[in-house]
Amino acid sequence: MPTKLRVWISRFFAIFVRGRQNQNFDEELETHLSLLTEEFIREGMARREASYAARRQFGRFAEVKQERYEGQSLPVIETFLQDLRLAIRIFLRSPGFTVTAVLVLALGIGANTAIFSVVNAVLLKPLNYPNPDRIVQFMLSTPGGPAVGGSAAELNIWRQQTGVFDDVSAYRLGTINLTGESHPEQLTLAQASAACFHLFGAPVIQGRTFTVEEDRPGEGQVVVLSNALWQRRFGGDAHVVGKTISLGGEPHTVIGILGPGFDFDSDPPPDVWIPFPIDPNSEDQAHYFAAAARLKPGVTLAMANAQLQVAYAQFRRKYPHYAGVGNGFSVERLQDRFVSDVRPALVVLSCAVSLVLLIACANVANLLLVRATGRKREIAIRAAVGAGRGRIIRQLLTESVVLSVAGGGFGLGLGMAGVKALLAMNPGNIPRIGAHGSAVTADWRVAIFTLIMSLATGILFGLMPALQAARGDLNSSLKESNSRSGTGSSWQHTIRSTLVISEMAMALVLLIGSALLIRSFIALRAVNPGFDSHDVLILPMSLAGTHFVNTPAVDQLVREGVQRIDALPGVEAAGSTTALPLFQNNAGLPFDVVSHPLAGGPVRVSYTAISPGYFDVFRIPIVRGRAFTDRDGGGAAGVAIINQAMARKFWPDTNPVGDRIVIAKGYAPGFDEPARQIVGIAGDIHDEGLNRTPGPIMYVPLAQIAPGIAALFTRVTPIAWVIRTRVEPYSLSSSIERELLQASGGLPVAQVRTMDEISVRSTARDDFNMMLMSIFGGAALLLAAIGIYGLMSYSVRQRTQEIGIRLALGAKSGALRNMVVGQGMRLALTGIAIGILAAAGLTRFIAGFLFGVKAWDPIVFILVPILLIAVALLAVWLPALRASRIDPIEALRCE
Amino acid sequence: MQQPRSEILQGTLDLLVLKALDAMGPLHGYGIARRLEQLSQDVLKLNEGTVYAALLRLGQSGWISAEWGASENNRRARFYSITKTGRKQLLSQVKNWERISGVVARVLQLEGQR
Repeated sequence: MPTKLRVWISRFFAIFVRGRQNQNFDEELETHLSLLTEEFIREGMARREASYAARRQFGRFAEVKQERYEGQSLPVIETFLQDLRLAIRIFLRSPGFTVTAVLVLALGIGANTAIFSVVNAVLLKPLNYPNPDRIVQFMLSTPGGPAVGGSAAELNIWRQQTGVFDDVSAYRLGTINLTGESHPEQLTLAQASAACFHLFGAPVIQGRTFTVEEDRPGEGQVVVLSNALWQRRFGGDAHVVGKTISLGGEPHTVIGILGPGFDFDSDPPPDVWIPFPIDPNSEDQAHYFAAAARLKPGVTLAMANAQLQVAYAQFRRKYPHYAGVGNGFSVERLQDRFVSDVRPALVVLSCAVSLVLLIACANVANLLLVRATGRKREIAIRAAVGAGRGRIIRQLLTESVVLSVAGGGFGLGLGMAGVKALLAMNPGNIPRIGAHGSAVTADWRVAIFTLIMSLATGILFGLMPALQAARGDLNSSLKESNSRSGTGSSWQHTIRSTLVISEMAMALVLLIGSALLIRSFIALRAVNPGFDSHDVLILPMSLAGTHFVNTPAVDQLVREGVQRIDALPGVEAAGSTTALPLFQNNAGLPFDVVSHPLAGGPVRVSYTAISPGYFDVFRIPIVRGRAFTDRDGGGAAGVAIINQAMARKFWPDTNPVGDRIVIAKGYAPGFDEPARQIVGIAGDIHDEGLNRTPGPIMYVPLAQIAPGIAALFTRVTPIAWVIRTRVEPYSLSSSIERELLQASGGLPVAQVRTMDEISVRSTARDDFNMMLMSIFGGAALLLAAIGIYGLMSYSVRQRTQEIGIRLALGAKSGALRNMVVGQGMRLALTGIAIGILAAAGLTRFIAGFLFGVKAWDPIVFILVPILLIAVALLAVWLPALRASRIDPIEALRCE
Repeated sequence: MQQPRSEILQGTLDLLVLKALDAMGPLHGYGIARRLEQLSQDVLKLNEGTVYAALLRLGQSGWISAEWGASENNRRARFYSITKTGRKQLLSQVKNWERISGVVARVLQLEGQR
């Protein structure tokens, strides 16, 4: 540590302890003097003389002590502490003002802290992996932007790019049944390459993870347990390593146990990890996993992407008839990818909430200006006895910073409590916030943010009033008999009006933003999803394992299950499907038309395998042709149903019913199947979210899926039992579960939900944004109303005398009221006009969050200003009323 | 008749105190004053109280440390001792002093030869 810094630090701390040390120092000096006196006595002086000589030789006590005192202080801090004490005394003397200002600031700063704590947890905290900024995820370029995904054929090409990547890993999350124990349980499964554990730095506390050999097909069945499952199901018994457990009906040897806290940033976190065998020569094009890698040291993202462009060219030469999802490879940082779809919303919310704080600042600045007028004489006296302009500004700034730091302190508590409440109420699928927002905590970043925010706020709203107070003309201030006369300087009036105008403008911008989101919310609710989600129970069941890999077994299970459920009282219809609406888990497969092949080769569309009951359960209409029946079985001729979007897109002028299509030809081993006949057209459903236009979907009977597809499906996605009930859906869940347990020979279901819940969840994040924006808009409205009310009532109070004279001279009280209202509304309308212009420029930044409403929606741009005008009118009406009721005699006498 | 005593040079008191502590081991303020008096053979004029300002400065720089003990006449006194960084500092200050005083002496000699 540099010596100078050391001296400062010890001087700083000395300020707080020097009082206590003084006594010790006195004692030290006394000892010195007594020793010196004794010395002189030994030399032959009389005691009295000796004491006198000692004092002379020692020097003046007071000087020594003064020197020491000065050596134990930092002038900057001394002044600050002085100002601080004064500020606290002043605020304690006017509790009403102090409480108002601190509350307004606590709201403003607290809201910012709340949003920042989410931004911090989601966007800023690095991922909990070693060197997280070097972990990249592989992306496929698609017409709709880059998408995560990978096939075996692509992974094998990526693995060859050893110049830029290390630890290229495939992984996917799924479900699998743990059977053979006391009760069967559906577990969250992570299937991962051996390198995955190294890439993500998974802590291993027992045994080992996978070897590279286990990345090849046909190696032994092994499993690594998560710490949570090991504790929960195996009581933390270390001897479980080496034992065999039954996953998906097959024995797996436990080879290792992971450390606690490794959740793979997934909710729910994986319970078990099994190898991801991929043949290095595989030409499989099915996309069903994600892939990630670590950039080699010295390799930049741009270098890796350049290399991947070359790799894609190679890939296309090898597979000229590729009909996959993408038309290029790239990588993105895992962290960026992870939060890519919440980042824009958080940025918008951060901007909105800082506007709220600005309005709060304007309010407090106005309060301070009013106070500064009242303190004119005090400040003038301070100046008269020698306080410089800088010194006075410093004192006033210290006061405002004291206010804002107090506000920030309360704001921190308020903000954290608020954000917890909000996140617990409506998580809205935000990544990285943990269960009910538990990962959103007040860590050092949040604390520092709040502190800086408080200091900046204090200076922002304090500077203007401080400058204003310090510039006052000393002479006239002292002469003024009392601060009430006059309306304050015109400069001061201009500042106050400007503050109120900008409050109005900012409030209008926020209100328009929230109104647009509310309109979107209503529009989203009005969308007909194309299916009826009420009274539908969803029971996912994992079929992973060896038992259900072939189509006849799945068909058998579904027929038996549906038959049993149909027999239950209260069930209207039952079915089974590989993909649920709004769940975004549907597979895509390329198809072609037999009679007139598509111009650009096969096209990928959504592929959903269903049992005949599916359309009845969701009440999806068959608009042409027929639905599937039990007769469309494994042995019957292949059939398919397409939705209206698919019909419109690929048969714009002709009737597709009767045409034959071929699906997934040459796509992957075992996917080939004979051509199918289109037997019907189903109504469109909003499959990818209510705010997306329905895309093309082809439906095939579960009984007729190609063997390779069946094998892949049972491995990677659970099937969902869907049941329309005549009674409350959950009331049937246990009896349905019992029937399914029978039908499947002991397979459990997990995450049973109603379709309504899935619907609500699909818009939860939009709802969350809307709710927050509405809260901010409401806060802005309230603050702006308080602002204009405060200004007008202050102005009326200042002009009591003037108004009294006017009344005495015969002015009508109604005219006076109108005068005050007119003055107030002129400010409000100016602010609103500016706000409309600003909003017109700014709303395009939230266009991405809007649905069914334009960013310049005329209804919003007319109604919101009217609302604000009404509120402003109310806020200025009260002071105006007071002005008109002033008693002229009293007003004149009071001087 | 005594010689007139010289005013102590600004900044050199700290160096002298440090040197005294280095040479003598732990001393209290009185002891340091006596030691300086002895060494300077009464040439330097010193208000003994100023020793305490020097001790404060040295302590704040971390070059000396202090602890309470009993004085010869059995009263409480603080005993100061030089620290490791203090020793380093002393070494470099002594070197610096020698350099400067050498230069000053040379310059003054030049003046005298004219």
